Amino acid sequence: MASRRVFLSQSLGIAVLGGTMPSFFSQAAAADPLPALGVSIDPRNVLVVVQMGGGNDGLNMVVPYSDDAYHRVRPAIAIDDKSALKIDERIALNPVMGGLNELFKEGNLAIVQGVGYPNPNRSHFEATQIWETASPERPVSTGWLGRYLDRIVPASTADSAQANLFTAVTLGDTVPAAMIAQHVDVPAIGALSTFQYNSGKDTASRLTAGRLYDGARAGQSPYLEMIETTARTALRGGDILKAKIASYKKTVTYPTDAFSQQLALAAQIIGSDVGTRVIFVSIGSFDTHAGQRNQQDRLLGYLSGGLLAFQKDLAAHGNADRTLVLTFSEFGRRVSQNASNGTDHGTAMPMFALGAKVKGGVYGEHPSLTDLDHGDLKYNTDFRSVYATVLEKWLARDPSQIISGGFGQLAFV
Amino acid sequence: MSKLDTSTDPQVGFRPPGTLDIATALERYNGPFGRRQAAHLARRTGFGPTPAEVDGLAAHGVEGAVDSLLHPSEPEIDFTSYPDSAKLFDPKVRNVTAVMWWLDRMLRTKRPLVEKMTLFWHGHFATSINKVPANYMVGQIDLFRSQALGNFRTLLLSVSKDPAMLIWLDNRYNFAAHPNENFAREIMELFALGLGNYTEDDIKAGARAFTGWTLDKDGHFIFREALHDPGMKTFLGRTGPWNGDDIINIIVAQPIHQRYLCRNLLEYFVYSDPEPALVDALAQVYALSGYDIAKTVGSIIRSNVFYSTRAYRALPKSPIEFTLGLLRYMDVKQVPADMPGWLFRMGQYPLAPPSVKGWDGGPTWISTSTLLARFNLVNRVVKAAPPRPAAAAPAMSPAPAPNLNFFAAMTPDVVVAQAGGLDPGKVLETIVAGALQDDVTSDVRQTLMDYLNSTGATLPVPFGPENYQEKVRGVLALVLNLPSNQLN
Repeated sequence: MASRRVFLSQSLGIAVLGGTMPSFFSQAAAADPLPALGVSIDPRNVLVVVQMGGGNDGLNMVVPYSDDAYHRVRPAIAIDDKSALKIDERIALNPVMGGLNELFKEGNLAIVQGVGYPNPNRSHFEATQIWETASPERPVSTGWLGRYLDRIVPASTADSAQANLFTAVTLGDTVPAAMIAQHVDVPAIGALSTFQYNSGKDTASRLTAGRLYDGARAGQSPYLEMIETTARTALRGGDILKAKIASYKKTVTYPTDAFSQQLALAAQIIGSDVGTRVIFVSIGSFDTHAGQRNQQDRLLGYLSGGLLAFQKDLAAHGNADRTLVLTFSEFGRRVSQNASNGTDHGTAMPMFALGAKVKGGVYGEHPSLTDLDHGDLKYNTDFRSVYATVLEKWLARDPSQIISGGFGQLAFV
Repeated sequence: MSKLDTSTDPQVGFRPPGTLDIATALERYNGPFGRRQAAHLARRTGFGPTPAEVDGLAAHGVEGAVDSLLHPSEPEIDFTSYPDSAKLFDPKVRNVTAVMWWLDRMLRTKRPLVEKMTLFWHGHFATSINKVPANYMVGQIDLFRSQALGNFRTLLLSVSKDPAMLIWLDNRYNFAAHPNENFAREIMELFALGLGNYTEDDIKAGARAFTGWTLDKDGHFIFREALHDPGMKTFLGRTGPWNGDDIINIIVAQPIHQRYLCRNLLEYFVYSDPEPALVDALAQVYALSGYDIAKTVGSIIRSNVFYSTRAYRALPKSPIEFTLGLLRYMDVKQVPADMPGWLFRMGQYPLAPPSVKGWDGGPTWISTSTLLARFNLVNRVVKAAPPRPAAAAPAMSPAPAPNLNFFAAMTPDVVVAQAGGLDPGKVLETIVAGALQDDVTSDVRQTLMDYLNSTGATLPVPFGPENYQEKVRGVLALVLNLPSNQLN
């Protein structure tokens, strides 16, 4: 540890004087926070958050197959007992989720049942904001992961040339509300090919662009320095990411769907030593108002197949022990099927936590299918308890600094 | 430089250095009005001027230029046949149809200030297509456009009855038996007063006053008296059997409202974090005008502070300003079908603000991802070559069809013709003058000249007949990607 610190402080000096060192090297020293709690937690731990956009039907993902009420209210769309992948006498996984079933049997998948919050919102937009900001009562500007980032990245370095651009990464075209921070820039990487200055064959253009943004000049606008600094970070960041990832050797063949390919990139980023702590990945479109089985089964197949390949890839590179995956969706769906063999917007649902260090099993009770609130499941675990658990036990942060209100912790980490 | 705290309200951006002369700040500007001042006016009140538009405004003088924006005499383009109503109700294309409809207006309108104020109201009354169906969103934008420079009290009342707003903030479910406070809260916090200028009791009273303001089965506003709470309410210190109209009258009469709205207008048109004294001075103009938006905006864009060096290129371009300015300078005749996607990556998908607060703007426009998107959009647009060098521009259609094979009519040949020949120095001067009103330093000019004269593997000879096409496109991209083009 001592020698690593010496190396980092030396490279910091080079970066400041010469401006040639890749910025993330120099920043690693500053951004490597001492864990606030629990000194045994690996400071290199990575959290991968998977958004299942559109409102995922939890009842056909973690299936209460032994409950007559389930089959009664879903005559056309219920998962049949025979094909369900049984976990215990009461619940089973959707039959397309062989990969996650395998991980469950290995003890690496935790299922948290009946997750929700008071006065649930059924608007996609608003419910997503609620889950991503962890603030059901009041809209706030920062996300729960953003507030975590603000805690671990000193404000003084966040926008400087020493900033680590890749402390948190969104895989997609835009930064979700969950990752909005006050002073940390979270890059949105749709693909490696777009996260760089694209001037085609005209390499002189790329070089010139770098020169035009190099060396902030005092301008009339205070915005000018910010723009120039950010642009330099972006131009260098794209080059660095491309170079770093080029040396990563994939050992696993991922499924070809877009979500699995994003996970392949996530594994590359985790394995490329760019100092990443949080990655956000999305899979849509779970808004299954009609013809639910085809659509949801296809998506759950992608989820399961992608996550299995991801776990294998991480393990092959020695990164499985420091990576935890957490899934969420803005809401579950109604208990009864509708007239279009789909389901409408509902409330509580299960969440998955996945990883080599996760204590696999089922946490919490499956909500009753008969004791309902206006036809919807009653939640029994607040989603902020799940977040608080991950923040404290995986990312070594005091959750009360990040999520308002005190929430009990779960035992899956 | 660290970004500012974006969690507080009101939003704070970077105030320019220097001091304000409050005594003369809002007096009429009568200094020089050349191409730089005309372009400044056009950038702030529109979507990026073409070089010809800059020359036109400069020729008017400041009074004539401002009048032509506030009271446009030129007939507007006939946009009425678009958007296609079938597409507006088709779940697969309705959102992008509505967005393209509006971007087309921004690109081609003869009334840029009206459209720019429409965009201001969209951000101010931030409503999202993620909750509200596209046809209602189009209706709301039409409402903003029709009252863009009208009277704020009238506008606030219209917005309170607007179907999109009734859906967005749930007032359609605000009934006497179960008041829904969402709209009453936001009308004060976001639309008119600002956080901290009212109490929770005011919200409860306001919500009761708006009970029964709902939608009929056809999606039109209706006042249902049976669902309205006619009882006595105490709102902002005044007691009476208030309804929604009364609430709006009480709100706009608050001095804090006048300052709140004027602060937002100054941030939009002049610079971030305007001095309280400047806000107070404009608030007086606004109050005396009887909440007249045209008079208030007119006062801003005629003023000394507006044309001061402190205000010049003192705001970061929003993604919409950046994108439309690029398309207009490059003379792209229709909005390319991939522009909504680019705007999404830059952080400003029209009709989809990120929350009820709208876009935070200012420093939040600038991030590594959004700047890379800006760079690569420029790189894409300057390379959008016509199928053949001599091809004519496509005929204008009132309903642009999605077309990824767009091209920029500002071709290298056009640039070279404007420059008067294949001279790299003249080519550079033409571009820098047309795109940036010469707002570049001599260092930057030298770097750009070095690029034009450089040789490399792909372009082995210096600037000349063999490679001017590539070189002109390359230097166009570099100029449009300069830091000063990120500033409005």
